[in-house]
Amino acid sequence: MNKIVLILVLLCGLASADGSGSGSAVAPAAPPGATAAQVAALEQTCADAMNADPNFAKSIELTINKQLDQQTIDAHVDALHHIQKNENHVIYAYAAMWVIAALLLVFLFLRQQALKTEIAALKRDLSRAEDKA
Amino acid sequence: MNKLLVPILSVLAAIGFAVSVYLVFFYTPLDFTIDHDSGRLVGTSLFFNETIMYFHVAHAFVLFTAVFIGGIASILYLWKRKPVWDDLAAATIEISVAFGAVVLVTGSIWAKAAWDVWWQWEPRLTMSLLLWLILVGYVLVRKFAGPSADRVAAGMAIFGMVGVPFIYTMVGQDSHPGSGANGVAFTLKGRMVVTFWVAVATFMIWFVALVITRVQGTRAEREVRELRERALDLGVIE
Repeated sequence: MNKIVLILVLLCGLASADGSGSGSAVAPAAPPGATAAQVAALEQTCADAMNADPNFAKSIELTINKQLDQQTIDAHVDALHHIQKNENHVIYAYAAMWVIAALLLVFLFLRQQALKTEIAALKRDLSRAEDKA
Repeated sequence: MNKLLVPILSVLAAIGFAVSVYLVFFYTPLDFTIDHDSGRLVGTSLFFNETIMYFHVAHAFVLFTAVFIGGIASILYLWKRKPVWDDLAAATIEISVAFGAVVLVTGSIWAKAAWDVWWQWEPRLTMSLLLWLILVGYVLVRKFAGPSADRVAAGMAIFGMVGVPFIYTMVGQDSHPGSGANGVAFTLKGRMVVTFWVAVATFMIWFVALVITRVQGTRAEREVRELRERALDLGVIE
């Protein structure tokens, strides 16, 4: 709760410094070169303005919510892009497919060759034995 | 004709594979868009990994077909006792072990890429693994179970076949992007449909070429057994 109030106050101060009143699309940080006293004064101005005008307070709250939403969306989009460009796993999958197919072919080829050799040897031995008989 | 069949099918499969790769990477758009207003994903959330899907699911289709053919052939073998059915069953089941391995490995890699896990013990995955283990068991039984190996293996093939419809239609709380009639294959749209079915046709042709080759091998094994028996009778070998 304290954090939210602090963010609100900071944003409010920045909004006042910006002069727009809405504080849209600004970072919750002190203006560059501002002293602690100036920041405190801005915070006070912001707090006073918020207390005086509930609509202004609401607009600050809305701005923060929008920023949080945008951060969430950005995080999701970043994650999506990361997964979208994840070529490594696609390469692994294709490599696995090729390796298994190659192993199967080698296995079948070697087996066929071994069988052919054995059949030829057996036929040769049998014909010799039959000739002798 | 028989001698030319395998080379022709292999060439067709090679062409089909090249065409499939082109279609997957250059022709078919990735099936997702991001709605920037809500930041939400619109589509099947497959991302770039969907390029794995075309071959993963195509291999799964061939696996199911192979197991089904192996099961039917085993039933026919147990019923008619004709060696031709045993040859067909042995060939299809042995080839399906390789296709099953591709399905499991590519699926696991896909899972890691898409869901950041290599494996989940969800119903469909577990059943797929069990089916693959049954197929491996079939091969081992044929090799080591002795004279009655063909009949024991035939029983295992039938057991494996019965599991296929359960795996295919299994709709659990799993991570797969759709199962059964609502599965990926039947919800694809546009160019994805063309690419997917070209991939399936390619691997089916490849599968047929492999099965024919393996059946020839099984016949050669039978010839070796018969020659050995003759050689034993004549005292050529001990």
